[in-house]
Amino acid sequence: MLRYIFFRLLQTVVVIVALSFFCYLLLNLMPGDPVEILIQSNPKMTPEDIQRLRELYGLDRSIWEKYSAWIGDILKGDLGYSRTYRVPVSEILLPRLGNTFILSLSALLLSLFIAIPLGILAALRVNTKVDYLIGLFSFGGISTPSFWLGLMLIIIFGVQLKWFPASGTYSIENPDNWLGRIPYLVLPTLTLSYLSVGRFIRFTRSSMLEALKNDYIRTAIAKGLPRTKVIWKHAFRNALLSLITMVTLSFSGVFSGATITETVFAYQGVGKLVYDSILGNDFNVAMVSFMISVSMVLLFSLIADLLYSLADPRIRLH
Amino acid sequence: MRKILLTFLGATLVFSMGAAVASSQKSELRIGISQEFENLNPLIMSMSATTYIYSMVGRALVTLDANGKWIPMLAKSIPSIENGGAKLSADKKKLTVVWELREDAKWNDGTPLTCEDLAFTHEVALHPNVAIGEREIYRNIDKIEWDKKNPKRCTFVYNKPRWDFNQMGSFRPLPKHLESPIFLKTKNEVGGYEKNTLYVKNPTQKGLYNGPYQITEVVLGSHVTLEPNPHFTGKAPSIQKITIKLIPNTATLEANLRSNTIDMISPLGLSFDQAIMFSKKAQTEGLPYVTLFRPSLVYEHIDLNLDNPILKEKNVRKALIYAINREELVKALFEGKQTVAIHNIAPLDPWFTDDPKKITLYPYNKKLAERLLDEAGWSLGKDKYRYKNGQKLSLTFMTTAGNKTREMVQTMLQEQWKAVGIEVTIKNEPARVLFGDTTKKRQFTGMVMYAWVSVPENSPRSTLSCDAIPSEKNGWSGQNYPGYCNPEVDKIVEQLDREFDAQKRIQLAHKLLKYYTEDAFVIPLYYRADVAVIPKRLKGYDLTGHMYSETNFVENWRLE
Amino acid sequence: MVQSYWRVVWEELKEHRAAVIGLGVVLTFIVIGLFAPIISQLFNISPYQQNPLQRYQPPWSTTELPLSERVLLVEQFMETHPEEARNINGMLHSLDPVKYQTTEENLLRWIEQSYDEMLKDLQGLPPKQQELLQRPIVSRIKTFHLLGTDELGRDVFMRLIFGTRVSLGVALLVAISSSLIGLLIGSLAGYYGGWLDHILMRITDSLLSLPLMPVLIVVSALSFEKLPILQMFSQGNWESIIKLILILVLFSWMTVAKLVRAEVLSLRERDFILAAKTMGARDFFIIMRHVFPNVMAPLLVAVTLGVGESIQFEAALSFLGLGVQQPTPSWGNMLFNAQEFITEAPLLALIPGLLILTVTISFNYIGDGLQEALNPKSFKR
Repeated sequence: MLRYIFFRLLQTVVVIVALSFFCYLLLNLMPGDPVEILIQSNPKMTPEDIQRLRELYGLDRSIWEKYSAWIGDILKGDLGYSRTYRVPVSEILLPRLGNTFILSLSALLLSLFIAIPLGILAALRVNTKVDYLIGLFSFGGISTPSFWLGLMLIIIFGVQLKWFPASGTYSIENPDNWLGRIPYLVLPTLTLSYLSVGRFIRFTRSSMLEALKNDYIRTAIAKGLPRTKVIWKHAFRNALLSLITMVTLSFSGVFSGATITETVFAYQGVGKLVYDSILGNDFNVAMVSFMISVSMVLLFSLIADLLYSLADPRIRLH
Repeated sequence: MRKILLTFLGATLVFSMGAAVASSQKSELRIGISQEFENLNPLIMSMSATTYIYSMVGRALVTLDANGKWIPMLAKSIPSIENGGAKLSADKKKLTVVWELREDAKWNDGTPLTCEDLAFTHEVALHPNVAIGEREIYRNIDKIEWDKKNPKRCTFVYNKPRWDFNQMGSFRPLPKHLESPIFLKTKNEVGGYEKNTLYVKNPTQKGLYNGPYQITEVVLGSHVTLEPNPHFTGKAPSIQKITIKLIPNTATLEANLRSNTIDMISPLGLSFDQAIMFSKKAQTEGLPYVTLFRPSLVYEHIDLNLDNPILKEKNVRKALIYAINREELVKALFEGKQTVAIHNIAPLDPWFTDDPKKITLYPYNKKLAERLLDEAGWSLGKDKYRYKNGQKLSLTFMTTAGNKTREMVQTMLQEQWKAVGIEVTIKNEPARVLFGDTTKKRQFTGMVMYAWVSVPENSPRSTLSCDAIPSEKNGWSGQNYPGYCNPEVDKIVEQLDREFDAQKRIQLAHKLLKYYTEDAFVIPLYYRADVAVIPKRLKGYDLTGHMYSETNFVENWRLE
Repeated sequence: MVQSYWRVVWEELKEHRAAVIGLGVVLTFIVIGLFAPIISQLFNISPYQQNPLQRYQPPWSTTELPLSERVLLVEQFMETHPEEARNINGMLHSLDPVKYQTTEENLLRWIEQSYDEMLKDLQGLPPKQQELLQRPIVSRIKTFHLLGTDELGRDVFMRLIFGTRVSLGVALLVAISSSLIGLLIGSLAGYYGGWLDHILMRITDSLLSLPLMPVLIVVSALSFEKLPILQMFSQGNWESIIKLILILVLFSWMTVAKLVRAEVLSLRERDFILAAKTMGARDFFIIMRHVFPNVMAPLLVAVTLGVGESIQFEAALSFLGLGVQQPTPSWGNMLFNAQEFITEAPLLALIPGLLILTVTISFNYIGDGLQEALNPKSFKR
């Protein structure tokens, strides 16, 4: 097992290095440069200004030069500066990573907390009114665009009822009050979790249904073993495989999956920052966030594999 | 479980109500913007939102007011050749301009603002390791001199004089007493200064600002808060606290206004369509807001690629313009609040003319468009499109993808051209691809729609002269995207840059407009309008409609 | 043998009522999409007819075309029916010599007045002429909008009907491509394990973590004119549609692959597969016969859930110039276009949203039905 994990970690490093170059290449392949777009909004800029800025920022160097300089800095532990904001990447990225992490994690936990019981319930009452009602609820979540749901929540709870602030991350007047952040978290968390709750419900339901059809479960119930015990200990365990896959998949997207929700709620997360950094050729910010999300995906892919063999001891990894 | 949930809900209710109560002070103004801002170093900043905010805390030598007139800000008066403030040598090779700074101009730590600051700013701006955007105005100045005894009287020396020497709206000084040590320490490193400037390291430091307000907090991507600057000796601002909040989604911005977490939406906020909707809604619901519209200097137009064999023919180009009903377009889509453009000079500009004797006008005339096309040999086929020698009259039409207003205009025009038998295919690209590749290398085959932001009396050299046609040879520089080349026009552009007499410049500009409209290589569409939503109790607020924003006059704002 | 298997599946599927309803709904949408032009003919409303002075009309409203658009209709009529037009011009003159002083171009003057006055004049004409003018002009000037109008005054109802084509097309494309690719990659990786598993899964991981934004920008800048094979597609709307398909196919299959692999990992150690192996069955046969039917549950859920998402994804792409372009409607771009006016015109976003919901639900119930029908454990023995 340890050998397997070591081997996988080795692979992860290789993939990260390869992908980092590929991402760098992609960023460079994107045509156009925001420095050039400056000329569109400022009639006093001249082509000479553009050329000078490009040289100054090193945008006209070859990709190899740029990439090796970048990876050299990274290996030294220097994340570099954000070109748009002119502050160190860590200074602007870290607090936002924290905010996004809080939001995504609370949304994930909330949706699992709702989805697993509802999914199991739907499976146990398959093709009844309860099942259809839960189905409707989950399909609603899947087909509602997050901007729509977010704006509706803002209009209802922020504008009309005034229960929660319409947007923001914390109270500007009182930024250090950690408890004071909770009301700001409620609406975005609800939005984000409703988007994934439907998916989790459907997966739980279908795998539970699948598991309940197995002979040994039928036998167990027929033999008179306590129903709850059978359901949780045997059937649910069987349903775990796809749930693990889905949960680890959404974990690996923790830092990128909330962009729209964050933007709608003007929440100080990492999503919009990354979006802007890509459009603005802010390579240092973009690359660091890519590297984080690549590592997350690979790490959780490994965790998923390890959890599979825990959930189903027949699975052997080699 | 239920108990926990209830206490949770209760707690959040209390918190949120606390937040709502705390923020309704009377002399506070909370402004919503939807565009990102960066650090407030006046030399380095390049985003519109940053300039918007900076103009409340710092001033330039001069600025352009809402009527399009240059007025002095840090300077006592604007030097010109007529008033003797500027002297041109007889051979027109040397120019000396005397700028007298206001006696009471001070930094917000009480240090007087002097020529030393101007000279320091000039030095920083010209240093090769500093990433300043627009350097032209500094590069043209060869020297800044002053007498030690009178450090408020600065002489600018030019060796290659231009007539627009006194339009110093972007000359915003840096405080030498604070920034000089940092600059000396970091100037040898590329980008060193802009990373270590106090505006980044400690933006609330006293002494960095000279405007009516000073910064109390900057959180990038979130908000900026301001309070009155005690050392400002101009008109004292009446509003005691200003907060500028960044809310990137425009629908949320509106929701924040309605939920009273912001008091107004700046011109960098709502989209035009949204503002129109809001102004109607606000009226029917009786909301205490006024929606302001102000025609701006942003010129929307369509460039025609003259390399396209179809578009080489002048009458086809004219037909394209005659075939579209721009009056109806602005009435229908903009309720007449954005105005039809007849050429690239805005009505605010002294160079403007709409005299039909001087320029060619193109009122909507479908019949004429059809006749011109018929005469050019494009005859209607069975499918209602025009053909000539078996070739279809078909053009691609590009613009920036995701810009809803442009897409609506595009779709409307497409229909109107279809009515005269011209097939128009829409092909849009993200802004950075369109401007970075497609227009820059002239890869668009037919038409491309976008906007120029202009300032009054701007030299048209980069968009009209033959040298400005981007090509491999000139390293794709210049913005003459249609590829228009006319030696006559080149001559006029040349003269225009060297003409010091304002009246003669106007005549030259009119000649230029004659060519611009008659040769029809650009289809002028409309001038965009700036929109802002302000509370009814805010007085003294005037939109300017150009790149020198209304925040330059923030001390006139008051809440009643 | 094969035929009977599918017959059993079909019989099973028919038992599942919700699945049958879902199938019915999807088929109805397909039919609506296919016959959209005929429906448009039937109602005599074009999804492209603009009426810019009547933007954002609420549902159940009636609009009249402005003069400039009416002129176009008349001109078109005069071109297609020159003989009749001359005839009618003359009739109008004899009908009301004061209003129509000459015998020419009276049609153009006729449409300048209000709709009711037009009708009055129309009454004076013989029935044959009335009928001639009815469809191409009269009924087009006054339009009833069941669901109101959009940002250019176009009929929302008709645009939704035409939008079915793109949106359902995208949905089916993603459902099919993601299930096929995901099934293949997932089962290969899970069944063979070892190096193949590692390589395929790292490719999957890489695609999962690849930043979408720069990829899309690079693709949007790709010009088909420069690639010899694709040159034929560089005309008109084809280019952006092909790019759309490319992106959807490339980025839709990873979740499915991961789910399938996890199931196969567990399956391959089960007794019945091991038994088949020792009996010398070929891998291909084992995978087809024993593995596929058993991974259907998560596969179908993932694929059917992807449908609603991809309809929205298509709209997000058009923000980068990659989806279908104006004036072609799709549910997704109608939904997103309404975003800014959610406080003012919430229905504009709600209706396409409800359609997406309906399609998602239908696909999911079809998935549910298929899952039961294909499941070897649920076969009646």
